[in-house]
Order: sequence, then C-alpha cells, then structure tokens
Amino acid sequence: MRFEWFVASRYLRSRRKQSFISIISIIAIGGVALGVATVILVIAVLDGVEHGLRDRFLANEAHVVFRLHDHSFFGNYQKRITQIQAIDEVVATSPVVLAQIGVFPEHSDTIQDVIYIKGIDPVQEDAVTGFSQLVSGTTDFQNSEYIEKARLIRDETIAGGIVLGGRLAARLGIIKGDVLRLVVKLVKHPANESMLLPDLANFVVIGFYESEMAVYDNNFGFIHINDAQALYNKANRINTIFVRLSDAELAPQIAREIEDSVQFTVLEGIPDARTWMEIQAPLFSALRLERIATVIIEALIILVASFNIASTLIMTVMEKTKDVGTLRTLGASRGNVMKIFMIQGSVIGTFGTMLGTALGLTLCWLLSSNAVRPSYWYVLVLVLPIVLQVLIALRRARPSRGGWKFAAATLWILGIGFALYCAVRPISFAELGLSHIYQMNQMPIKVNWFFVIFINVLSLLICWLATLYPAWQAANLKPVEALQHE
Amino acid sequence: MKNSAGTLIRIVDLHKSYYDGDAELRVLQGINLDVHKSELLAVVGASGVGKSTLLHIIGTLDRPTAGSVLYDENDIFNMPDKALAGFRNKEIGFVFQFHHLLPEFTALENVAMGALITNANHKTVCKEAEALLDYVGLAERRTHYPNQLSGGERQRVAIARALINQPRVVLADEPTGNLDRRSSERVLELLWDLNAKSGQAFVIVTHNQELAQQVDRVVQLVDGKVVGSETSLGKSEVREN
Repeated sequence: MRFEWFVASRYLRSRRKQSFISIISIIAIGGVALGVATVILVIAVLDGVEHGLRDRFLANEAHVVFRLHDHSFFGNYQKRITQIQAIDEVVATSPVVLAQIGVFPEHSDTIQDVIYIKGIDPVQEDAVTGFSQLVSGTTDFQNSEYIEKARLIRDETIAGGIVLGGRLAARLGIIKGDVLRLVVKLVKHPANESMLLPDLANFVVIGFYESEMAVYDNNFGFIHINDAQALYNKANRINTIFVRLSDAELAPQIAREIEDSVQFTVLEGIPDARTWMEIQAPLFSALRLERIATVIIEALIILVASFNIASTLIMTVMEKTKDVGTLRTLGASRGNVMKIFMIQGSVIGTFGTMLGTALGLTLCWLLSSNAVRPSYWYVLVLVLPIVLQVLIALRRARPSRGGWKFAAATLWILGIGFALYCAVRPISFAELGLSHIYQMNQMPIKVNWFFVIFINVLSLLICWLATLYPAWQAANLKPVEALQHE
Repeated sequence: MKNSAGTLIRIVDLHKSYYDGDAELRVLQGINLDVHKSELLAVVGASGVGKSTLLHIIGTLDRPTAGSVLYDENDIFNMPDKALAGFRNKEIGFVFQFHHLLPEFTALENVAMGALITNANHKTVCKEAEALLDYVGLAERRTHYPNQLSGGERQRVAIARALINQPRVVLADEPTGNLDRRSSERVLELLWDLNAKSGQAFVIVTHNQELAQQVDRVVQLVDGKVVGSETSLGKSEVREN
C-alpha cells in the first residue's frame, strides 16, 4: 500500500478517542449519498413522467393532424386521404369532423358545458388511435340498445349515439342511456325574430371514453362522422384528417411531406399538418424546463454535500496538525501531505457516491415494483436497528473482532434495506386523487443510465474539488509550527 | 575527540529572526559551528537562547534568515522543497522532548513510518522496524498504540523511529526533558550505545548537565551566539573505560 493511502485510510477509520472523526466521515459520506440518491430518484421520476405522458399520448393520439389553416371543411376527402396514404411511413388515416359545441343534459335547461365533438368513423379511427379499446360500452353509434330504447320511449328525434369522456359524463351527472342535447346553432324564433332559439340535436349516451388522458376524458364527446356531417349540414365534407405513422419520431418530416403532397386550390385554403410534438409543445417544454431547473437544484444539493466533505477535512486537518508536523519531520513532502487529505476526501466522495447510486436505484426499483408490502413489518423495522444497537453496545465491552464487525455492518445494511422495502410503496396518483392532473394512475419511474453516470462523475468531481482547499491548507502548514500546535 | 573523521555539517554565519509586525526578534545571530561525523555534540544554554531554533534549522524544518548550513559542503537550503523533504527523510533523524508519535499507528508502524514515506517494501520495512524495536527493548509492545505505552517507552519508540533510514545525524531536542530519572538513564544509555555502534552523529539540545558531561563536545549558546565549545573529557574517559 502506498504511504499516502496507508495514512489516509487510518485517519478515515480512526480509533477510540478519535472516533469523532470517523463519525463525521460517516456523516459526510451520508450527506453525499443522500444528495446523489435524491438526484437519481427525482430525475428518474421526471423522466418517468415525461416518458409516461409521451407513451400514453402516442398510444391513443394521431402522430400528425392535418387540416386547413382556418379549420374549414373540405370535400373530396377520400382522394386526399389516398394521397396521404401513398407516403411510405403512413400506417393509418382517419377522417374526422372536429368541432366545439355547447351541451345541456336533459335534466337541465341551461347550457352546462362546451365540449369538443369528434365525428369519427369507428373502424378508421380505431386504426389511428385505438378508440374502441378505451370505450366502456358500445361504439355502435347507430344501433345501440340504448338508442333503440330511447327511440321507443321518447317522442324526440334521436340523432344518434354519443360516447362521452368519462370525467365529463361524471361532471354532467350523466349515465348511459341518458339523452344529451347538443346546441348546433342558434335560430331565429318563428314568432319573434329578435329572439334566438337553440337548434338542438339529441344524442343518446352509449358509452364512456376512458383514456386516462385528462384532456380527452374531461372535454370530448365522440359521435359518428355521418351524424357530425349532418349536424353541420356538410355532407361528404370533413375538416380534419388524423394520421398514424410507423415511427412517431418521423412526424416533423412526414408532416411536411403531407403538406406538399395533398393538393388544395388557393380558394380552398392552405394545408397545415401539425405534429404531436407541436400540439403538445407547451407540456413537453414545460417538463423539459422543469428538468433543467431540477438538475440545477440537485447539483446544488451535491454541492452542499461537498461542503460537508470540505468541513470534515478542515476539521481533520485541525485535529491532525501535530501529526502533519511529525510527518513533515520524518521527510514527508508537501505533496505527500496534500495527497493524504485528498485521498481521505476522495474516499468519502467515492463511497458516498456509490452508496447514493445504490440507494437511488434501489428506491427507483422499489417505487416502480408492484410488490405488496405488509405494513406491520414497520414494527420490525423499528425494532431491528434498536436490537442491533444494543447488541453492538454489549459487544463493545469485549475486544472486537473483524468477523463480528462485518456481521454487524451486514445486519445494518440488511436492516436499512428492509426498512426501505417496507417503507416505500409505488406512489399511486389514484390514491392521492391526482390521476386527473397527471393523466396517469401511478408515478412512473424511468432510470436514465446516461444521467446516472453523469451525476456520478459530477459528484466525484465536486467532492474531489472540495478536498483541494483543506489538503492545500494541510500541505502548507509549517513543520515547526505544526509540531508546537496544541 | 572524533573530529578527525571529518566535518559532516558546517554552519556558517547563521542568522534567524522572527518578525512580529515591524518588530524584529533576532534569535540566532551569526552562529558558526561544525558537527563532525560520529560526534556526540550537546548544545546547552538558557531557555529562549535559540537552541531549538538552531536544531530546527540544522534539521531543515525551518529556513535561516541568513547564512548557510552545509552538509558535506553542500548548502542544503539551495534545494527545492521536495528534495529537502527527501534529504530530511534519508539523512536526518529527530527525537523530540514530546515523543510526537502518531496516535493512530502502532509502535511498529510509527517506527516504520519514515521508511514507508519512500514507498519502500512494506514487509522489509516492518522487519527492520521490528529489529529496531527489539534493539530499544520494546519488541513485545510493537502492536501497542502510543497511548498504551509509558513516557519512557514512547521516547524509546521515537528513538527507534529516528533510526529507521539509518540517518547520518540524529537531532535530539531535550530527549530526556520529560522523563523521570530511570527512564532518562535508559534513553541516554541507548543514545551512547547507538553512537558507539552505528557511528551516527548526535546533536543534542539539553538542559541536563549530567547528559552534557557525557558527550564528546559541548557548545553553549548565549543570546543567539556560540560562546563556548569544550570537549567533555569526562565522557571520553568514561567511553574509553
């Protein structure tokens, strides 16, 4: 073992009356470990949320949404769809009538909400967004049993069936079979022309759409494309085409291709293909901004931990001033002395970083695994360290042996691991009542290995830098003054 | 006298001053002194005359304000810091009034430390250190820590430590100053024996008159100057007997 390592390792371990230093070494290691673990966990959660949102979004969302820049209706859409499908990467297309519309439920006499109505062809829409998998109930907009029943018992005209976003239905207090009145437009009163009356269409609620995407579940109703065209009196015309690609990442390039290949006259309007990235840009850029802010804050956490190392080392240097004098007397150079303290700090930093990485990854694993952990083990978790501590205290009265120390350390690690295992459960947004905000039910965790390596390197670097000043301070002690230090 | 063997250290017009603001405290004021090979030299004088300062400068722990210290006619303070540390490691052994053992290391490790600094082979060094501990009569205590040793034992460990690299000169600052009579005698016996066997030069700073009578030469410092240098005949006679 090299001389500097020999001395530094002894100072780290320290004995009996100097045990103070070894305790502060442990605290310093703990500080770095907690910092690193927090960073890894928080970034994993943020990455998880971003990827979770993305995956969920992409699973049930068109990759490219094609429309005219003024959102107006256009005819001859089958030809345009054929043009779009001619592009290699296009997997599926769905013609859609998309509009905003006022609603009032049958039990209400005022407009309760304004919702988005999406007129779709269920088969084509399925190919793009997997629509029917997310509907509880039927997607047969024309011949559902609810529609038949409503037509039998009601004297109003039933235009068709509607699948309503689950949360929207809950908000409006609607169950399957209820009639929802859509306000298509306002018409003049036949008797008094200064009055306006709503032109209503009655739709029977045949199912609920539950995508766990707040934006749809809260705001959307789905009707058949023919019904939608009839509502607006736009037979054979649509205003939007939804496109699914073989690879969502290709969206920007394909969107430009679609704009170029679909032919419109100047009078019809300018084609505008928007990618899913553009549509969700505010969300994803907010997430990215949040991540940058978090990384900065987390770097500060590690910086704080590194101050711990610096102060530990400065205290060690103060404690060891006389020793430094002795070592210089014995022929140790400034470089030797500097190395001793740098090794000490680097060992603290390295152990802290390794421990923190292990802790962070363990937490990530625990939070993402679905194992059921019985809560009465908490008691055991509390008892275990106490029993251990008592055993250690008892044992201390007798000469310690390496084997016993190793066993005690192993037990401690197992105890802490066990505590973690029992304490940490996957955080369920549903339990917290947050699933409608986060658009998912369970906190997603995604470990970004590149970032784990990055944070390890950063932590080691910061810890190493933190050793420089105290080590320099030790190296520059004057031997004679150091020897006389009390 | 042993000065026929040649001069090991030559101190030429050595000055050392300390400054407290503008006030200058002149501790050494033109010391000229030769230390011969294998010589036992005692430096005596009242407290505060600069004995320890002189020893620190000879031992390269401190630099002089003016003047030079020549080992084999080479001015050691021309060396850069790192080389000076290496020189100190190889050529000079120290024994202090307060042993200055490292508390976290066993007696054996303390003795070996000087050689470990050079990254010499651990096993070889430990063997040598064991032999030295055996020589100072502490072979049994090699795994003990300084706080488990008595004052005299600690000082003997410190002497063994000073010898690990077989230096040409051992500098001792009041080596018996902190010991009771019996321990002092043992330590001194050890020093004389060492000097006789290994031929190392010893420069001993002391108040101890008894000790001063047993050395080859005594140098007295007064107000930072050498005022007298005499041969201790008594010691020579004792040694010859």
